Amino acid sequence: MNAAATERGARERILAAAVERIARDGIDEARIARIAMAAGVSPSLVHYHFETRDALLEQALEYSYELAGDVRLGPEGDAVELGSVKRLAAMIDQFLPYPGILERDWILWVELWLRAVRHTEMRPTAARLYERMRDWFSEAIATGIERGEFNADADRDRIADRILALADGYGVRVLFGDLEVSHARREIWAAVKDDLGLPEQPPPPLDPAHPQD
Amino acid sequence: MSPRPRLDHVRRPELLSAAATVIRQRGLENARVADVAEKAGTSTPSVLYWYATKAELLKEALTSAEERFYEDLALQLERIENPRERIVHIIHSAAGEGDYDAALWMELWARALRDPELAATRAELDGRWRRSIADAVRYGQERGEFGATDPEEFAVVLACLLDGLAVQIALRDMEVTPDRVRELALKLAERELGCELLEGARC
Repeated sequence: MNAAATERGARERILAAAVERIARDGIDEARIARIAMAAGVSPSLVHYHFETRDALLEQALEYSYELAGDVRLGPEGDAVELGSVKRLAAMIDQFLPYPGILERDWILWVELWLRAVRHTEMRPTAARLYERMRDWFSEAIATGIERGEFNADADRDRIADRILALADGYGVRVLFGDLEVSHARREIWAAVKDDLGLPEQPPPPLDPAHPQD
Repeated sequence: MSPRPRLDHVRRPELLSAAATVIRQRGLENARVADVAEKAGTSTPSVLYWYATKAELLKEALTSAEERFYEDLALQLERIENPRERIVHIIHSAAGEGDYDAALWMELWARALRDPELAATRAELDGRWRRSIADAVRYGQERGEFGATDPEEFAVVLACLLDGLAVQIALRDMEVTPDRVRELALKLAERELGCELLEGARC
């Protein structure tokens, strides 16, 4: 392994460790020393890669969402293999805090909101993530319309907005234990089914085995 | 002799609103008691007379801003006779009009993930939010203006939608403007309540 690759490896290990600490302790309590320990590097190496604590925390959040985005923004082939109805249900599931990785992502998501509200320079990152997610849903709906599986006159951008907002509003309440994740899924489905011409009930979740870390 | 703090002019509500302003400007993590004292025109010891710790002050500031929002909302709704206008008012109150404060709301919700006491407060405040909506639905149903939707279930859907959209407004997402939020929320409410909500519409 050459030096550049080792260095990239250390940087990624630091980011991954930071993501874990933020999810566990919250962004205000995440400490460099503990992140360094978890990444198996020295605090000075953390400072070498990331000038300030804020820079590290912000890049850790970005890193987490870029990863999550790559996993979530699954292959277009899904539409053919699953059909648009099942694919849409699977996409909604990706946005709900099922126990495990998705729940951890959700805690980070809330930390990202907070960070972006406090620090204006973080907002473009958040806005970019929302834009990607909105496009993802909007394109999946367009594909469903093309394939004749959704209503031809569905307003795909508005429906994408509705799904994202409901996923945030329900997701955070599931995280707090106010509601069951299955309830959230059913209600989001109910809020878009008439416009898209979907079956009354969502198809059962695909196997909830999550992608490996 | 240490001077007794001057307490003649500073009161808890003023401290809380000063603290809310400081949290809004600097974020909870960077809010200092000295900043709150300065904003309220008093001294640090005076602040600490009312609140033993910074954590206690900030906690109460976060929750009191939310509480005031619900109190004001309740008073405003009482004055509106038309049930459809009540629902429209609720939607507008959450869509960037009035003094609804998404930044403080987010500090509270994010903190509540790790603080059991704040989690209980969050649950109680969220209950008030949902009750405000459900009561407005029942009010309209009693007057025969809304369909037979379940008021509690409707309250959850509308609260979730408005909160989700409020996040995007707070993040200054260019796509999601307050106008867009009102449009999306009105459409959902009209469908669920089986009733047109805008200007002079008849049910």
